[in-house]
Order: sequence, then structure tokens, then C-alpha cells
Amino acid sequence: MRLVNYMRQWRSVAKEALDRTAIVAKFLCLLHVTNNYLCSPTLVYGPSMLPTLNLTGDVLLTEHLSPRLGKVGSGDVVLVRSPVDPRKTLTKRVVGMEGDRVTFFVDPLHTDRCQSAVVPKGHVWIQGDNMYASSDSRHFGPVPYGLIQGKVFFRVWPPNGFGLLEQ
Amino acid sequence: MGLRKLWQYRSIVREAWDQTTAVATFLCGLHVTNKYLCTFGMAYGPSMLPTFNLTGDLFLADRLSTRFGKVGRGDVVLVRSPEDPRKVVAKRLLGMEGDSVTYVVDPKNSDRSETVVVPKGHVWIEGDNIYNSKDSRQFGPIPYGLVEGKIFWKIWPPKEFGSLGQSRMKDPDL
Repeated sequence: MRLVNYMRQWRSVAKEALDRTAIVAKFLCLLHVTNNYLCSPTLVYGPSMLPTLNLTGDVLLTEHLSPRLGKVGSGDVVLVRSPVDPRKTLTKRVVGMEGDRVTFFVDPLHTDRCQSAVVPKGHVWIQGDNMYASSDSRHFGPVPYGLIQGKVFFRVWPPNGFGLLEQ
Repeated sequence: MGLRKLWQYRSIVREAWDQTTAVATFLCGLHVTNKYLCTFGMAYGPSMLPTFNLTGDLFLADRLSTRFGKVGRGDVVLVRSPEDPRKVVAKRLLGMEGDSVTYVVDPKNSDRSETVVVPKGHVWIEGDNIYNSKDSRQFGPIPYGLVEGKIFWKIWPPKEFGSLGQSRMKDPDL
């Protein structure tokens, strides 16, 4: 008799736990879909986008609709999966779209030499704003458009940089 | 009298809402499975003959292998095209980063072959039908980030149901 009582209690507890888990799972699902397809916050750090982005870390809002719709253009700051290490995501500025001719400083720390290149079909040319300390298309060449993951449009942290990013 | 009508509508609206959320939850689950676990697709075109037919084959592709880096030489992979980011193509992976790949540049017109080393973070893909395939021989090695899935099973046509064999035209260990 006592065993039956225990089992009944456990059953109701288990049912409640399952209901709560289902609610949490649905919430995470919605959060994940929003993060991947609409808008997501990202922490970016490093010297390659000074002075636009700080060295020690900025929280940026990126939207994921523009690359899908083909609305990424020159001058946009984008999140790009690195062609050299597919587990890393880079933040750089798009300087040239397919068909553009880009002129760039090969190694501004040591020389004034300039070089010119045409961006092939389906690719983009990305550069960091701080060309003295940035590893970008000047080193690994134009990047396929399919690697662009999102377009940065807003800065959330630090508070004195809150707002849209300047060109 | 009007109030009763409103009450009836309320129950209909509630039932419609419940059905909609059930359908939405199901689609959500389906989408997550398609994107992160396993998806099916149709491949058509001449570039992967004889492995895939010209007019279209249905296959299953898994997405976990690429996430964990478990794709290797000889696998048929789904890749986002570097020339048109809206297209996804199926090709065979022949070289990982650091490999030295020897390929025939233009088999229809000449026997000339070239050797290239695959740079870091990139892979070399080729279609099984080298006479009619646009692949790394034309657009170079592609970044690993463009690899989206590994094809492991064919569902249609029924007489070819089963796992994909190794390439019958090239030895992937070369």
C-alpha cells in the first residue's frame, strides 16, 4: 500500500518535471532560432578593428538576415568565418564586392608598396580597419561570400560607445 | 445573444491557436534536425557520375561530422559554392589541409597534370566525373567553413539504396 502511494507521488513529480523541462526547451529553441536567423549579440575583441572597435572587447548586435538576402555591401562590418581556421569567427569590414578592383597596402609596417587585385565572382574582400595589426584578405585573399555569417549594425557595450557604428 | 456568439468564437480561436502551436513546435523540431543532425536532399547533374545519376538522386547527409571535423578524404560532401553562395553542391573531398594533390587540369583536351598543396583551413574537392565537373580544379581549394554536410546514404533510386561506396574512378589515397 505504501509502495503504491510512493509510486503515485513520484509519478506526479515526474510529470511536473517533464512539463517544466518542455517549457524551458521551447524557450531555448526560440532563443536559438532568433540568435541564428534574426539578431544576436556577440563579444568581439582584438586590435584589428581599431579605432572602430576596442581592443579589450565590445558587445555588438549582428543581424543574420542581410547575408541571406544578399544585402551586404562595401563598408559594412561583418562577421566572417575564418578561411584559415574554420572554428574562429572574424570581424572585419567589407572593402570590395565581386568584380571590384581593390588597392591595398601589402605591409604598411615596413613598406609603402601598394598592390591591386580584382575580386572574383562570389567572393568579397575584407580588411580590418587597423591595417597595421590585422590579418585579412591582404594575407589570405578574397573570401567566398558563403562564409559571411552576419552584419554588425549596433554596439551595446561599452556604454559610451552605445549606438550605431560609424562608417 | 451576441455575447454567446462571441463565446463560441473564443473556443474556436483557442483551438486554432493550440493547433498552430503544435504545428509550429513540430516544424521547429524538424528544422533543428535538418540543420544540426541529418538532412535529406536531391542531387542532380553530370559532375558526380557514376556515383550520382544525371537526373537526380535522393540522399541523406549528416551535419555532425563536419562540425566535429570528422570528414576525410574520399567522403562525398555538401559544399556551399564559392562562386554562387546560393547554391549547394555535392562533390568528393580529395585533399585535406597540407596534402599534396595531383590532378588532371583539363582531361577532355590534354593529359597535363598539376600538383598543388592544400593551404591551412582549406580542402580540395573534385567531382567523380572529371570530364564534366566544376570543382577545385577551376576555383581552387575551398575554405573548410563552406563544407556543410557529409553524404552517407542514398535513398533513391531504390536499386541504389544504401551507403555510398568509395569513388570508382579515382583512388582517393593518391
